[in-house]
This record gives sequence, structure tokens and C-alpha cells, in this order.
Amino acid sequence: MAAPHIQLDHVTYRYSPEAPPAVRDFTLHIARGEFVALLGHNGSGKSTVAKLINGLYQPSEGTVLLSGMDTADAQYTWDIRRRAGMVFQNPDNQIVGTRVEDDVAFGMENIGVPADEMPGRIAQALAAVNMTAFADRAPHLLSGGQKQRVAIAGILAMQPEALILDEATAMLDPSGRRDVLETVRHLNEEQGITVVWITHFMEEAVPAGRVVVMHGGELAMDGTPREVFSQVDRIRSYRLDVPPMTRLAADLAGRGIGINPNVLSIDDMLEEVVRLAHHC
Amino acid sequence: MPITVENLTHTYQQGSPFQATAIRDISLTIRDGEALALIGHTGSGKSTLAQHLNALLTPTSGRVLLDGRDINNREVSKRAVRFEVGLVFQYPEHQLFEETVARDIGFGPRNMGLSEAEVDARVRAAMDMVGLSYETMKDKSPFELSGGQMRRVALAGVLAMRPRILVLDEPTAGLDPRARDYLLGDIARLHSDGTTVVMISHSMDDVARLATRVAVLEQGRLVMEGAPNDVFMQVDRLGAMGLDVPAASRLVHGLRARGIDLPDCCLLDELADLLEKLLKGGTGHAS
Repeated sequence: MAAPHIQLDHVTYRYSPEAPPAVRDFTLHIARGEFVALLGHNGSGKSTVAKLINGLYQPSEGTVLLSGMDTADAQYTWDIRRRAGMVFQNPDNQIVGTRVEDDVAFGMENIGVPADEMPGRIAQALAAVNMTAFADRAPHLLSGGQKQRVAIAGILAMQPEALILDEATAMLDPSGRRDVLETVRHLNEEQGITVVWITHFMEEAVPAGRVVVMHGGELAMDGTPREVFSQVDRIRSYRLDVPPMTRLAADLAGRGIGINPNVLSIDDMLEEVVRLAHHC
Repeated sequence: MPITVENLTHTYQQGSPFQATAIRDISLTIRDGEALALIGHTGSGKSTLAQHLNALLTPTSGRVLLDGRDINNREVSKRAVRFEVGLVFQYPEHQLFEETVARDIGFGPRNMGLSEAEVDARVRAAMDMVGLSYETMKDKSPFELSGGQMRRVALAGVLAMRPRILVLDEPTAGLDPRARDYLLGDIARLHSDGTTVVMISHSMDDVARLATRVAVLEQGRLVMEGAPNDVFMQVDRLGAMGLDVPAASRLVHGLRARGIDLPDCCLLDELADLLEKLLKGGTGHAS
């Protein structure tokens, strides 16, 4: 069996020695190429886990390995950050260049990519996020979704193995959110990049292969979207919600209608209602 | 005390090479006691329009009337307008700055020149309105609170000025589902207590829950306006503008395309009733 790509074992993290742990005895193994949605209310420890994965934080207790490299070992720090790229919530805080191309090149310059390799990598990265046409535009004139895609391109140019997106769609409008999620799904499927997708939008977890829920710094649930979201009361006890169609199905089931409670998407629900309507 | 927007146009950096017209010839009346949602794609002019409602921006042309008086007229005190029309910006918690929650919320009323006793009374009332306990929270630093609590402190700071019209720009952005629910509950309560609400949101489910009327902006123009049920059932038209509709409207739309006719609907709870009737009705017996 292949070793996990991302491996957190019994990780506890405290922001200061006196503070209660933000993450507590947290164990999570993620295989290469997985798409994991990480959910939890504000303050549940999701963002701390994200920063533990790429070594921005080192665990107070326990170990974090990326491709077998210990994040607490200083000799791996830069290698780990290159391999596990992070995208944050606010696109405006991540843009540094005056042209899109320069912005994409910034990360590569930091890790010492030879100058003659850069143009090819920039072109590839921009193509992967569908932003080729914007290469010489000024980043501050782009929409939020476009800025996030440029931020992702900057990471792709460093040829990462994993992408960690910490509420990367929180400040975007619906079409921007859709574009960014589609871009990341595509990178996961086509290039096999491991994805950790942190979000407050439950419907964004539906396409993930796996959903992990955190509560009070601990791992609370771990399973497929159907396994996790079918437990409506439990999810709500963690101050989260289920996708709207799952909520509707639970409501109808509670009224004695023989609906499949595993409904996640609008398409699932359409099929169920059509099936039930033909029976009556 | 309605707000009337008449032929409002706003051009940023007029006369410079960066000149950009954000809203064009918008006319709209905000009626007393309604909850109006402004929706539209990023860059459609929603925030620009909202910032005219309390004279934060001055029209390039057109007028904004509060109670029949032009708020940009020199005779009208903009300060007074801003106490009447409270504007809560996007991510308002970024503007918290005082040492304690009570001082932060009291900043506006203190600026209005009210006595300390009145400021304190208003801070208590405003905290009550957003479900924050005065006794346990008043002396805390705003910066040690959760994201949802910080957002409510920021909202309380505007409410403490007792505005009659509350304008909220993306009030639930970035909040987790529970915090979002609480905040929407707070806004619904303020609205049912008589506050006029204007809300900008990308979350169509939030809009469906709160709004009594929806106005749609596209490229700076007002292109649709009506009751939530009427606006949101135009799924294809909104889709062409890059806008979503609430999950309930999308489902009704999809079912109609498959030959199952249901009434217009944009709320999941209402849709559950409609589906129950549909699915139980035909059989003549329950389940």
C-alpha cells in the first residue's frame, strides 16, 4: 500500500503555551490524488490544519508528513511549501505583480527556477486555469474569481503535488465560485494533484471524493459526501448544515414520503421527484 | 420615510483616463418597511448604488431623496442622513478598533453627542438586538471574538445609532452556516420590528428568505424588479447574467421542464409543502 501523501498523526497545535489547543489529537491520512473537502464552523481548526500541512505551523505534539517529509524538519521547509501550495480567502492579499504574468512568476523566482524555464511554465499554468488571454493585464483590474485563478496559476507554476485552498471562494460571487471550483476539480482529475478544499458552502463539498468534518479542533466525521451528509442531525450539531437538496429530502422523508434520503444535488432530487410522481 | 432614487448615474474618476460609469440612470423607490434585495454580478453597481443611499457617494447626475428632500442639497445635514440611514459595509469587522465591545458599539452614539447614560442604554439595546449578552461580552476585546460574533458587534455599532433604514452590503459573506443563520435571524427580526432593510447579497437563498422585493442590476442598469417568486423563476434570464437562483426555484424550474407543474416558489420550506401535496395527492392515501 502506498504511503499517504499527506499524513497528520495525533497532531495537537496551540497558538501559545497557555491557550487551549486549536487542533487536538488530530489524525488524518490523505492519499495522492484525493479531493478532500474539509468542513467545520469558524474556529473549528480547519485553517490551522491547512497551515500545518504545508509547514507554516509546526505541531506542538504529533507529526505532519508531506510525501514522507516531516514538516518539523527545517531542511524540508522550502521543499514542502513548493509541493503543497496554499490559496487563501482574500484574492487582494495575494496579488503582488503589476501584470498577471509577473504575478505568476513571483513564486518561481522565490524558489530559484531558471529564467529560461519560466515563460513555458507561466504559459502552461495560465492555460490550466483558463487565463491565457489575461497574461499581460493588470491583476487589480480582474474580478475576484479571476484573481483567485491567477493565484492558483502562481502555485501551479511551481509544479506542486498538492493544493490547499482555505475558503478560496468565500469572497467571490456565484460565477467566480463556480469557475474556481471547476478549475481545481479539473487540476485534480487531469493532473492528479491532491486537493484539500476548505469551505463554508456545503454544496461545494458535494463533488469531493471525501468529506472531513472538524469540530472543536478534533476530527468529527470522515466519509463520502453521501455518508456524511445523510447524518443531518449530527452535521447540525457541529454548527454546519447539509446541502439544500439533502435538507429537503430529509424534510419530505419526515412527512412520510418514501424518498431516498441520500439526495445531494438538484439532479438527484429531480430524478427522485419524477420517480415518485410516476408512482402516484 | 421612503428613499427615492431618481435617474441616478455615477461615474468614477470622471475626466481621467480611468473614467468608469458604475451605475446609469437608475430610478427606484425604497418603501417604508420593505426588505429590498439588490442582486447582480460583481461590478454590476450594487455597492455603488448602496453608497448613494446615505450620501457617502455623490451622484454624477440624478438625485437621491430621503423623505422628499435631496440628501445632497447643501441645506441637508449629511451627518443627520447617516444617522437615519445606517450602512453596514462588507466585512464590517475589519473596522472594529476599540478596546472593548461596549466602547466599539458606543462609538457612533457617542459621536452623535448623546449622554453617557443614553450611550450605555443604546449599547445594551443594540447588543440585545443581535443576540450578544451585554454582561458577558461588554468588556471583551472585539478581537478575541469569533468571526460571527465580530460581525454582530459591527452590526450592533450601526444599530446603536437607531437608523430607520439599514443598508447591508453582503452581510453573511464568509460566515459559517450557524453564524449565517443567526445573523439572518437578527436582520429578519429588525425588519419585522419596522426597520426598512436594503440588502446586497450573492446568496440567493438568503435573499429568498429575507427579501420582500428583489432588484437586479446588470452593467450599472436596473434590469428586473419584483417579488422574489417572480424574479427568481426567471432562471434562464438570470443565468444569462451569470446569476444563480435559490435552490427551490431551480428545482421547480427543472421539474416543469420534465412536465411536473408546480407553482412559483423560492423557499425550500414552501417547496416541501408543495411536493408533499403533489406526491401524496395522487395516491389518495398517505405514504
